[in-house]
Amino acid sequence: MTTVLARPRLRVGIVKMASCDGCQLTLLDLEDELLAITERFEVVEFPEASSSRSAGPYDVLLVEGAVSTPDQAAEIVELRRKSQLLVSIGACASYGGIQALRNWSDHAAIRAAVYAHPEFVESLDQATPISEHVKVDAELHGCPISPEQLREVLVSVAVGRRPQIREEAVCLECKRRGIVCVMVAEGLPCLGPVTQSGCGALCPMYRRGCFGCFGPREQANTVSLASALVADDREDEEVARLFAGPTGWSGPFRSVVAAYGGPPGVIPFAVPANPEGDADGRG
Amino acid sequence: MVIDERMPYAPYPAPTGTAVAAPPANVAHGGGGPWFLARANLGVLIDLLREDGRAVIGPTVVDGAVTLAEIRSVDELPSGIGDEQQPGRYRLVSHGDGRTFDFAVGPTSPKRWTFPPVVPLNVGRRDGRAVSFEPSQLDAPRLAFLGVRACELAALGIQDRVFLGGPYTDEDYHERRRNALVIAVNCSSAASTCFCTSMGTGPEARGGYDLVLTELDEGFVVRAGSPDGADLLARLPVRAADAGQLLRAAESVGKVAATMGDPLPTAGLHDRLLAQFDSPHWARIAERCLSCANCTMVCPTCFCSSVTQRSDLDGDVSTSERVWDFCFTAGFAKVAGGSFRSRPRDRYRQWLTHKFATWVDQFGTFGCVGCGRCITWCPVGIDIRTELLAIAPPLSVRPEPARQIPVAATPGSYATARIVSVRPETSDVTTLTIGNVDPAFLAGEFGQFAMVAVPAFPPVPISISRFGRDSIDLTIRAAGPATAAIVGLGPRDEIGVRGPLGTSWPIERAMGHDVVIVTGGIGLAPLRPLLDGIIARRDRFEKVRLFYGARTLADQLYREELRAWAARSDVEVELIVDRGTPDWSGPVGVVTHLFDQATWEGERALAFVCGPERMMEATVDTLESRGLTPDRIFVTLERHMECGIGLCGHCQTGGLFVCRDGPVFALSQLGGVFGREGM
Repeated sequence: MTTVLARPRLRVGIVKMASCDGCQLTLLDLEDELLAITERFEVVEFPEASSSRSAGPYDVLLVEGAVSTPDQAAEIVELRRKSQLLVSIGACASYGGIQALRNWSDHAAIRAAVYAHPEFVESLDQATPISEHVKVDAELHGCPISPEQLREVLVSVAVGRRPQIREEAVCLECKRRGIVCVMVAEGLPCLGPVTQSGCGALCPMYRRGCFGCFGPREQANTVSLASALVADDREDEEVARLFAGPTGWSGPFRSVVAAYGGPPGVIPFAVPANPEGDADGRG
Repeated sequence: MVIDERMPYAPYPAPTGTAVAAPPANVAHGGGGPWFLARANLGVLIDLLREDGRAVIGPTVVDGAVTLAEIRSVDELPSGIGDEQQPGRYRLVSHGDGRTFDFAVGPTSPKRWTFPPVVPLNVGRRDGRAVSFEPSQLDAPRLAFLGVRACELAALGIQDRVFLGGPYTDEDYHERRRNALVIAVNCSSAASTCFCTSMGTGPEARGGYDLVLTELDEGFVVRAGSPDGADLLARLPVRAADAGQLLRAAESVGKVAATMGDPLPTAGLHDRLLAQFDSPHWARIAERCLSCANCTMVCPTCFCSSVTQRSDLDGDVSTSERVWDFCFTAGFAKVAGGSFRSRPRDRYRQWLTHKFATWVDQFGTFGCVGCGRCITWCPVGIDIRTELLAIAPPLSVRPEPARQIPVAATPGSYATARIVSVRPETSDVTTLTIGNVDPAFLAGEFGQFAMVAVPAFPPVPISISRFGRDSIDLTIRAAGPATAAIVGLGPRDEIGVRGPLGTSWPIERAMGHDVVIVTGGIGLAPLRPLLDGIIARRDRFEKVRLFYGARTLADQLYREELRAWAARSDVEVELIVDRGTPDWSGPVGVVTHLFDQATWEGERALAFVCGPERMMEATVDTLESRGLTPDRIFVTLERHMECGIGLCGHCQTGGLFVCRDGPVFALSQLGGVFGREGM
C-alpha cells in the first residue's frame, strides 16, 4: 500500500456517444472502492460526475454509446488518437444498442415520424458500434455494464495483466445460483444460452427470460435456439422481437431477426437502402 | 426386487462405515426389520435430524420444479406433487394421491452441497518481495440429505471415486461428504427421461445410504444401511413392516424398472463409442447443441471446475475461488494461441465420450447414472440416449423385447376401456379411438398390439394404430364375427383390452439413417405410430419414404393423413393401387413398382414392411436387390393368436412365438421361416 503514491496515476476519461449514461454511472456503483480508485486513477473526464472537462490525452478511455450522428463519427476518430487504451462500455458502444433498431427502417421516414422538424436533426442512417469506426482494445458488454467487470478492467490495467472476464453463457451464472431454468420449467423464451454472462442471471432470477443485454457469447448458436422456439409453437414475429433487443444489431442476433421477418414496427425502406450510407442522412 | 449383476457403483470409500443390511442388535425394537414408518410420523424423522444439528436438504417446490433446498418441516415436502419430463421440458403436475416422493429427480442434486458451485480456496498476499497463500478454512455444515434416489447414490459413489479414490483427494469434498447423512428413497415412478435401468444404478437403492425409505400409501418401509442409520432408526416411531407392505414395496420398485425398460443398451458401449471419433454425427449434433453447458451443470457426476482470482487494485491481496466450470465453454480448453476444442462438436464429443467411455478408463465406472437430467434440462431437448444410439448403434440387431408390464397380462383377465369415437376408414375397415385406457397402453411402443375382447366372442389381436395423449387407436377390418362385433360398437361402449404386447419397430436404430416404409392395405395401421414417432422427431432421421399400395383409392386407410404426410417436404409419400378407378390418377400396379428403381444409402437405410405376406415377400426381394441386408429389414407377421404372451402355442412359426418374440422381426431373425410354404 505504501508504494501506491510512488506510482504515476493513470489518466482515465469517460466519454459518451448516443447513450443513456447508465454505463458510465456504473463507475459510481463501485462505492466501496471509489477512493482507492481515485488514488490510482486520475479521472479527468466524467460528464455524469464532474463538469470539469479534459482535452486528453488519456491512458484509458471508456467510451459509452453508439455512433449515431456525423459529429460523433468525427469525434470518435479524434478520441482514438488521444487514447492509449480505448474500451467500449455497454451494449450501445459494442453493438449499437436499442437505437440500432432504427437501422432496420427507412431513416427519413423514421425521422419524419418522430420529429416535428426532422430537418433540424443531424443523424446518420444507422446507429453503429464504436468498433465499426475505430480500433477498440476491449469491450465491456451489458445494458448496463457490470460494475464487477468494470472493476476487473481497471484492476487489470493497474496491475498490468489481462482482464479475467469469463466467456460463457448466462446459463452458467443461472445454474451456479441454483435458479430453475425458466425455459425448460415454464416455457419462457430466453436468450440465456446464447448470451454472454456478466449480469448474474438477473432476469431468470425474477422468472423472466434473458433479454440478451450482454450480447452474443462466443460461438452463439442462435439458429438452433430460434428453431427450438419455433418448434415450441412460437410465432416468427415473437422470435424476431426476442432477438431484437439492446444487442439485436450484433451479428448472430441480427441474422436471426432478419430470418424471422425483422423487428416489430419497422418502416420499410422507401428506396433501396444505399449500402454506402448517406453521410448526413438527409435526402 | 431388481436383480442386477452390473456394478452398483459402490461409494469409494464407504462414506459412513460399512453398510449393513439390518439394524444391529442394539436397536431397541428387536427383530431384524425391515420397519414401517407411518406417514404421519415422517415429520418426526425431520425433527430428529434437526435436533441432531443437521440441516435437512430435501425436495421442495421452488419456481415450478421439485428442487432440493433446506427444509424445516414436513410441510415443505412436495406432497401430492409429481412431474412430467421430456427432452427440454419439465412441468409439475398434481397427483392428488398425497404421496410425498412420487416424482422423478429435479434439476438439483446433492452435488450442489458436496461439490458447491463456488468454494473459497485461498487468500494470496504480496508484501514487497514476499508472498504468502493462506488456504481457506474448510466449512462443511452438518447435513442430512432426504429423498436421495438410487441414481443419485450412484452419482455420489462416482464422485467419491473421482475426489477420494485417487492418489490425491479433495479435502473440501471429503469434509462435506463425511458430514452428510444420506436418507434415500426408492423411486415409485420414472420420468420419460429416466434410464437408470440401462446404467445399472436404479431404481432401487442398493447401498451408499444410511436409511432408505420405500413409499406406500400409508407410510414408508424403512431399512438402515449403516450404523448411523441404525441409530437413527432406533429413535424413530417404527414397527416391523408386515408381509403385505414388503410385497407392495417390492412391486412398486419392480414396476418402475419395468416402465423404463432398457432404453440405452450399454453392452460394448465403451468400445463402440470410441470407434466413432470421426463419425459425421458429431457435426449433426453440434447444429442443435447450444454449448450452453446446462447438461453438465445438472449432471450429478460432472466435476470440472476453474479457479478465479479477485485482487485488490494493487494486486497485493487476492482471493481465489473454485467455481463450477464445464467442457462446453470456449475458454475451458484454451491455451495461449487457441483452444484445443475450438468447435462445439469437439466439446460435445469430449463430453459424451467422457461420460460413456473414457470415464470408465479413468475411474472404472461410467460417468453417467441415467438420471436423465441432461435430457430434460437441455434447452433444445437433445436426448443423449438418441444420440448414443445413432452414433454407436447397439450390437444387437434384435428388436428389443416388449418393455412394459402389460395390462391384464394373463389370458383370462381384461381391463375395460371405453370407445371414444368410431371412424370408418373404408367399406370394411374402422378405426376406434379408445379412452380410459391404462397408462401402460399409452407408454406402449410402435408396432405393439392389444388383445381385444367383447363377451361371447373370441379375443382378437389388433395392432395399436396410434398412441394419443390419453387414448389409443385400433384400426380393425371386419373380417370375422369377432371383429365385426367390435366394429359394430359405438362411442361410450366398453371393450376389454390386454396389452400392449409384442415387439416394436426399432425406431432408435433408424435414427440418423434413411427410413423406407413399405406397406399394403391395412398393413399401414401398425406403421402409423412409427410414422407419428418419426415425424415428431423428424430431424433425427435422414430421408423418410412411405410406399403404400391398396386395392383401390377407396381402400386406402387414413386418406387425409396420407395427404398431410405427402404435403410435407420432408416425407416422401408414393401411392399405388391394384385397380384404377375414375377418381384415381396415380400409378396402377403392385407396390414394388414404386421403388424398384429407387436409390437410398443401402448400407445405412432401414426398411419397415407390413402387409399381406405375399406382398411382403415381393417387397423384401426388391429391397434386398436394392442393397438392404436382412438385418436392416423389419417385417411384422400376422398369425392366429389367442393368449398374446407365448403360452397358447397358436402363433408358433419355427422356433418363434410371433406374439411374444414378434410380431416385429428383423428379417435376419426369421431365417428360412419367412415366405416358406406351410409355415
